[in-house]
Amino acid sequence: MNSSVLSIQNLCVNYITPGDPVKAVNDVSFEIQQGEIFGLVGESGSGKSTVVQAILRILPPPAVIAGGKVIIKNKDILSTSNTEVMQYRWKQISIVMQSALNALNPVLTVREQIEDVLKEHSDLKSKATEDRTKELLSLIDIDVSWLDSYPHQLSGGMKQRVVIAIALALMPPVIILDEPTTALDVIVEREILAKIIELRKELGFTILFITHDLNLLLEFADRVAIMKNGRLVELDKAQKIRSGGKHDYTQKLIRSLPSASGPREKGLLPRPENLDLGEQPILEVQNLSKSFHDSGIFNPRSIDVVKNVSFQVFPGEIIGLVGESGSGKSTIAKLITRLIRPTAGDIFLKGSNKKVSEARRVPLEYRKQVQMVFQDPFGSLNSVHTVYHHLARPLLRHQLISEQDLLDHIIEMLETVGLRPGTTFAEKFPHEMSGGERQRVAIARALSLGPDLIIADEPTSMLDVSIRMEILEIFARMRIEKNLTIIFITHDLASARYLADRILVLQHGSIVEQGKAEDLIRSPKEQYTKQLIKAASPGWLRSLSFNNNTKDKDVGHV
Amino acid sequence: MDKNNDSIFTRWITGILRNRKAITGVAIIFIFIFLAVLGPFITEDPTAFLGTPLSPPSWEHWLGTNGQGQDVLSQTISGARQTLLVGFTTGIMVVLIGALIGGISGYYGGRIDDFLSLLINVFLVMPGLPLMVILASWLPPGPATLTGVLVLTGWAWNARVIRSQMMTFRSRDFVSAAIVSGERNIRIIIVEIMPRMLSLLASSFIGASIYAIGAQVGLEFLGLGDVSTVTWGTNLYWASNDMALLTGSWWAFVPTGLSIAIVSFALTMINFGIDEVTNPRLIAERVWRENIPMDTVVNGITPVVRDHE
Repeated sequence: MNSSVLSIQNLCVNYITPGDPVKAVNDVSFEIQQGEIFGLVGESGSGKSTVVQAILRILPPPAVIAGGKVIIKNKDILSTSNTEVMQYRWKQISIVMQSALNALNPVLTVREQIEDVLKEHSDLKSKATEDRTKELLSLIDIDVSWLDSYPHQLSGGMKQRVVIAIALALMPPVIILDEPTTALDVIVEREILAKIIELRKELGFTILFITHDLNLLLEFADRVAIMKNGRLVELDKAQKIRSGGKHDYTQKLIRSLPSASGPREKGLLPRPENLDLGEQPILEVQNLSKSFHDSGIFNPRSIDVVKNVSFQVFPGEIIGLVGESGSGKSTIAKLITRLIRPTAGDIFLKGSNKKVSEARRVPLEYRKQVQMVFQDPFGSLNSVHTVYHHLARPLLRHQLISEQDLLDHIIEMLETVGLRPGTTFAEKFPHEMSGGERQRVAIARALSLGPDLIIADEPTSMLDVSIRMEILEIFARMRIEKNLTIIFITHDLASARYLADRILVLQHGSIVEQGKAEDLIRSPKEQYTKQLIKAASPGWLRSLSFNNNTKDKDVGHV
Repeated sequence: MDKNNDSIFTRWITGILRNRKAITGVAIIFIFIFLAVLGPFITEDPTAFLGTPLSPPSWEHWLGTNGQGQDVLSQTISGARQTLLVGFTTGIMVVLIGALIGGISGYYGGRIDDFLSLLINVFLVMPGLPLMVILASWLPPGPATLTGVLVLTGWAWNARVIRSQMMTFRSRDFVSAAIVSGERNIRIIIVEIMPRMLSLLASSFIGASIYAIGAQVGLEFLGLGDVSTVTWGTNLYWASNDMALLTGSWWAFVPTGLSIAIVSFALTMINFGIDEVTNPRLIAERVWRENIPMDTVVNGITPVVRDHE
């Protein structure tokens, strides 16, 4: 049954540098069969996006395709003329790019952007073009009344659907989806994926799906290929991969993240046997609100980002603050770290009943007690300074240590967070380290002042899947070793379940539900929480898509 | 113990020294500075009457004499002194004032920004050239006046650029991280943010210097400088006054004009070099183009080069 629609043979892609060329894709071969969903998984830098961009020959300089074949309909795209390449893009194969939310032109309406593709590649009359455009919109469940709207008027999910509609416009036999849902919230993400799979059933196209999230892919892919450092390390049926795979790296990926449903797996993250929490809350937030004003002359608006939020945090506790983007969770982090001032409400630190949110100037003492770990380890370290500088400055500023002991202390801090040998790492610049190493430096910096409270704002969401657990483990360990209190902010209910003792669920700036982590996961009360849990559990696809009888046997493993 | 600042500078300097464009520019500028400093020791008195006015280049006067019978070579070399001094001083001051006002405005925001932006905008909308002419003719002539006038009319644009750059840095996580760790604002600006703006500051300095040299020569050419001193601007002023152009005495103005052009060219080269050192992508793209056959370069289609490597 050799009905391959797309065949990639020994593809090599180099990035030309002043030195030796960097081999971004090294001898990759695979075939995609008619009608299947083929998944390509890899972490950042693995070359997965480079592969699909090479298929369309849309890699920007300094990339060069150094060898191999890309065969579609018995024709090697890598040896055709340039005009033929233009012909084959979108007609034979189309792509939904990673940054799909920015893929739409902000000054053109939805109608213009879809019709653009139709006019370029087909001879449809204007009436027929309009009909086709409307048909495409209804395919992706967007009302025709949105046809003349501009991208900024659409929500993230709708924009994503429009981009998919554009990819479908000419009904190419193969569609490439390159991380199509990364910028979306979990619930929206799942809806869109269900929609794509439903459309595939209806229209019969073949999908090449690129993602870094293996667990997501295993829900719906027929076959999965795993890439690492530009090479294919494993290629197999999804069931086989799910049950472990052959390669060590595959197993590492499989084990990387726990699920939000089912029994809690023991021993993933260390948790103290008996929580010995203090009587007095270390942090108390009362009726906290924050609104941002848009002081336009013509339509001044005010957006309430955080609405009347109250909660207490006890010493030695890990609180999980869970919400989607726009739920106000990062704003709460900034309010507590006092990077911004609340519109209303109070923050009390250490039960001293001293309002800390009043004074304009933040006392140095507060800075010592409350520290923060940021989401983006590439942005939170200053690229012109060494690790040494990042760790030394806070210590010197707070005069916690004499200059002679400084280096020893810093090396010790680095080794605490797993950066060994500390002497080597102290001299490194941020760009000389991987994302995971940088995040460890950021954690070491937060820990170095010996704070009572650390606010970790999505500390793992920009990191590769396989190292997320290791980073969470540092927090779990520090809590036990240093009796640290941690507010862990995340959009991922599953990781909150494993790290946090208590979970607060945020929606639109308010807390909708809170409770002990396990209780909340097992018996959620609010509809929204239930949705979140469902979206983060295996088998979500079955509950969302409709007559999914052919794939039922594949999904739903717990 | 703070060895880090060294590192960024070292990285930069080695980058610049390895860059062909930048090193060309730096070399030319150094030659001119060298001549300007040593000028008085290697040339004859540029103001002395030495021979027949407007005599063409000869063994005695390599570049001839001007309308006053002065040696053109001596005049050109001596002229570099004040012209470059005023040019680079203005460049430095424009960047310093721009960094101070733009930096404070962008970092602090709020009312401080409202006020300082207003100030910047006022200076931006003021017509620079007429203001320069009026101020230069009203104040006592001399290098200090020139510098002052050029700085006054030139700082605002730089401040504006630095302000917007500062605003984007202000919202970065590494700045928030520094604030959370208790760092003082002034230290955040100087130690954390300014090194990140180095390329902007350096190219602002170069741009402002080119502007200052050009504007200064222009003012002096109009007779608004001190015509008794020897600068590139007054050289041109006298050449024009002595009707060098009408009599076809090209040697009276070409050496000075060429020097101005070469200095501007060299500064621009340094600017390109800084661009390439701070934006490795530019170099990567250049190398890419050099490494693949010309006929495979088509916009928007990745080239296939099978025998590559």
